[in-house]
Amino acid sequence: MSDPKIEGLELKPGFKGMASDTASDQTMFKGVHWGKAMMWIFLLSDTFVFSCFLISYMKGRASTPVEWPNPSEVFALNAFGVPVPLLLIAIMTFVLITSSGTMALAVKYGYERNRKMCGWLVLATALGGLTFVGMQAFEWSKLIHEGVRPWENPFGAPQFGSYFFMITGFHGTHVSIGVIFLFIYAYKVFAGHYDNGKKGWFTTMKGDYVEIEILGLYWHFVDLVWVFIFAFFYLW
Amino acid sequence: MHAGIIFFLVILGSVLFHIFTPWYWTDIASNWQSMDDTITLTFWVGGGVFVAVCLFMIYCVFKFSYKEGRKAEYKPEDKKLERILTWATTLGVAALLAPGLIVWNQYVNVPKNAIHIDVMAWQWGWQYRLPGKDGKLGNTKIVNINEDNPFGIILEDPNGKDDILIQSDVIHLKNNRPVKILLRSVDVLHNWYVPQFRAKMDAVPGVITYYWFEPNKIGEYEVLCAEYCGVGHYAMRGGVKVQSKQDYENWLEEQETFSDLIAKQNKIEFNEKKLAKK
Amino acid sequence: MSEDFKDKNIIQAQSSETISGSGSGVSPDMDYVRPAEIPEQDLYHGHSFITKWVFCQDAKVIGVQYFCLATFTGIIGLILSWLMRLQLGFPEAAGFMTAEHYYQFVTMHGMIMVVYFLTALFLGGFGNYLIPLMVGARDMVFPYVNMVSFWMFFVAVGVLLASFFVPGGPTGSGWTLYPPQAILEGTPGSGMGIILMCVSLALFVIGFTMGGLNYLITILQARTRGMTLMRLPLTVWGIFTATVLAMLAFPALLVSAIMMSLDKLLGTSFFMPTILKAGEVLEYGGGSPILFQHLFWFFGHPEVYIVALPAFGIVSDLISVHSRKNIFGYRMMVWAIVGIGALSFFVWAHHMYVSGMNPWFGFFFATTTLIIAVPTAMKVYNWILTLWRGNIRMNTVMLWCLGFIVTFVNGGITGIFLGNVTVDVPLSDTYFVIAHFHMVMGIAPLMVIMGAVYHWFPLVTGRMLSEKLGKWHFWATFLGAYSIYFPMHYLGFIGVPRRYFEMYDSPYMTSAVGMNEFISTAAFLVGAAQFILIFNIVKSLKIGKPAGKNPWKANSLEWLTPSVPPEHGNWGERLPVVHRWAYDYSVPGAKDDFIVQTTPPSEVVHTKVEKT
Repeated sequence: MSDPKIEGLELKPGFKGMASDTASDQTMFKGVHWGKAMMWIFLLSDTFVFSCFLISYMKGRASTPVEWPNPSEVFALNAFGVPVPLLLIAIMTFVLITSSGTMALAVKYGYERNRKMCGWLVLATALGGLTFVGMQAFEWSKLIHEGVRPWENPFGAPQFGSYFFMITGFHGTHVSIGVIFLFIYAYKVFAGHYDNGKKGWFTTMKGDYVEIEILGLYWHFVDLVWVFIFAFFYLW
Repeated sequence: MHAGIIFFLVILGSVLFHIFTPWYWTDIASNWQSMDDTITLTFWVGGGVFVAVCLFMIYCVFKFSYKEGRKAEYKPEDKKLERILTWATTLGVAALLAPGLIVWNQYVNVPKNAIHIDVMAWQWGWQYRLPGKDGKLGNTKIVNINEDNPFGIILEDPNGKDDILIQSDVIHLKNNRPVKILLRSVDVLHNWYVPQFRAKMDAVPGVITYYWFEPNKIGEYEVLCAEYCGVGHYAMRGGVKVQSKQDYENWLEEQETFSDLIAKQNKIEFNEKKLAKK
Repeated sequence: MSEDFKDKNIIQAQSSETISGSGSGVSPDMDYVRPAEIPEQDLYHGHSFITKWVFCQDAKVIGVQYFCLATFTGIIGLILSWLMRLQLGFPEAAGFMTAEHYYQFVTMHGMIMVVYFLTALFLGGFGNYLIPLMVGARDMVFPYVNMVSFWMFFVAVGVLLASFFVPGGPTGSGWTLYPPQAILEGTPGSGMGIILMCVSLALFVIGFTMGGLNYLITILQARTRGMTLMRLPLTVWGIFTATVLAMLAFPALLVSAIMMSLDKLLGTSFFMPTILKAGEVLEYGGGSPILFQHLFWFFGHPEVYIVALPAFGIVSDLISVHSRKNIFGYRMMVWAIVGIGALSFFVWAHHMYVSGMNPWFGFFFATTTLIIAVPTAMKVYNWILTLWRGNIRMNTVMLWCLGFIVTFVNGGITGIFLGNVTVDVPLSDTYFVIAHFHMVMGIAPLMVIMGAVYHWFPLVTGRMLSEKLGKWHFWATFLGAYSIYFPMHYLGFIGVPRRYFEMYDSPYMTSAVGMNEFISTAAFLVGAAQFILIFNIVKSLKIGKPAGKNPWKANSLEWLTPSVPPEHGNWGERLPVVHRWAYDYSVPGAKDDFIVQTTPPSEVVHTKVEKT
């Protein structure tokens, strides 16, 4: 996206520009859509939620008296009779990151007002997310089958089960909410709401492809959080 | 005008209340005179600032009350005045902080000769354990606690055998000898607090916390639980008896050790078995 | 619509140039203000009673709704405090009260007052009403989300109050909800009570996040032409910073509420170590109770400033308006608010000096805590320096402000006691703490709320409140509250622990009996005095003096709406254009002793107004 043009104000690059934007009237972030600014701030708040979860997890893991289970064994998947560590997780991560890619493309085509491509890519992102949630459900059922519960864990410290189910569950809820919205937005793109500026259900704001970008911000965030969860749960 | 007078009376009343109050801290009975001193210092500096700010405010009320036609001063900023006030405040705050940190350093560093006391808390009561001749306390585990082993001492730990068990909520302390209070709780948070000793610390289930003091006044004191621990919190009291060296050692002689307890239990068991056989 | 609006704005800017050129002979572009960047906001106007007054999308109505609901819960909190004081002062008269009841009332009183009363009132109530008006917006940027925010709060309050009627009653674990006791037998309401508390808090956080996003984006992205950040009234700065704190601190509360609910419902052991209860080892183990305390206070300390910062901001404006003088050191005030907000995230463990955390943390947190004292002291100096050489109207609003200064300085000084780690050791968990935080974050913000009510009531309703009743209300509240909490510090010096249901059997507590009776009596009177305000409001709504426009001769935008009270959309045809800060009072050379924010420079060229 190119820089916005603001009448009567020269936008400067770097810190100087930031300072002059801050000192100016009307808006702090020049040319930034209200919804987009809102999403950034919401994500900052959500970052704190996940940080609190992950820091609690680190504290819990560091102070539990029973030994923590070895993640590469617990999360191994039998492929053709050979236990491959982290196989499922690798696929899940790959799917989620790919869906981030399709989301970014959808934003690009959206701004180019390419309705069809944008719609298909949003749909592809939704399907990627759905696959991820499905695989997570599979992993949960596998662990539950093996006897891991939020309150107990045959492989070691019971906190492993508690933190795993809570944090991946909370993340999975984020993904699921994202998937629902992706489907809704795919419909809205195909129906042309963003081309003719149809108002949304709950808002008096006119439809615009910027909404795809806003949803994209959320989706990339969920993806980024997954990278941290992946690192803390599976690689540590 | 009336408002200014009432505000002045409030400030005057506060100062007089402080001077003539019958409610003030109990006579100190430990080495933490330095805590009282930091409080006193904070009181004079803080109280001085409070009175000064309020008197200035009252002065303004008297001097600058609304008069039709008078114009207030227009002076958005006074950099110099603001700078002076900032630095003066910073200095004042640093002067209060420094003694606080120095005393805190004493508080977290326990003297080497301190007697260790295991203070065990539960809903709602206290019991105590002193090290035996070896000067060391045996390790404990909550799951080991039962009628035969009220402190949950690990039986294999040789340090635990001669530990002196005091299954009462009153503990005796030797005058002028530092004690390190090792707190543990078997259920919820508690806090072993004797106002006359000034010091306190929470007992947290799962970990052992500590603090220390040196009792220096012979007498009997009441222990209060100072961390909310459920519905019996207010009734969770104990006692401390600070005694001279001789009295303390006499009392210690009479106490039961862990091995005494085991021997007693075995004897009872043996007798019961004998009875059963007959 | 947006296109013609832009044109209109440009035309307007040009026309003001031509008007200003007349007479004073100044260059025509001195009044130039950049044209609008953003097209006009399209508002949803309600037509039926339901869309106008119930599920309303007008921030002003939402603000009043927040205000009323928060006040309602606040009155419940007040009644609970009466019951507590009855038990403490006159236990023989409180025979119906068991220890369980007492601890439940303590807990609910604390939680209601801190979260559901003060936070909701300042941010939801004053924030919603004042932000759009003060920044010159037509409404909040997301009116629908704003409406949902209020109804979330409504449900949260409903769930909270529902816990009074479940088996076991509401939780009685203290407002800090410390585990393990919060979810174990032996604490009242450890079943349904604590779960409903966690659910209610989670709902509150979700609802608040919706509102908070609105406040922030409105302040950052929807200011009117000419309104720079450094021209905002301090009220907006206070609410803004408090909202940022809330957005970053409430996550910790949400997380701890989720984890504690799981400990209770699923039997996880996040906060639960091995526990022996009634001779049996429970099925918990390996968790850390101190982790909860860290999470809770990471929320809890910023929460103090979430309440305090809007109060700081509002009181600055009230003092400035009613002493007819600009706020002294505006930029210092702004930086102090922002600095206090930032520092408040690095001081949380000063609530935990004797909690059993690693004692070495004490050094760090004592230092950060005392650093906060510096910007806070600067604010106090600036308030009293604003009074100095002012032209102080001694009306009810000013009385509340003076009451605020006295109680806030008092409570702030005792904060230095408790923040300084060594001094905290003998005083923590005693009545000194109770006295301190009631003075500093109970009474002081309450003084500001009352001042703000008397100040903005004419704007909201178009009628003035009775000054006579207001003065009675003030003196009863101020003198009463001061005589509750000032002596209470001395109970703490004696060593009386907090959260004691009764305490007459200890030798050094018997001396406190008389004082407790006195404090309780004062508490009953202060509580009752609040009904003067309710009477005053009801009476003034009917027969109050009509306020007219800008009765206080204030500068800020909220008084400059075309109609009083302002209508939906606030500004009628055209948005205001701002040319100055909100504090040009008593400018030498000016005709009046105030120059409103929309006055263009060309109209005041002959005055000695400083460029802002």
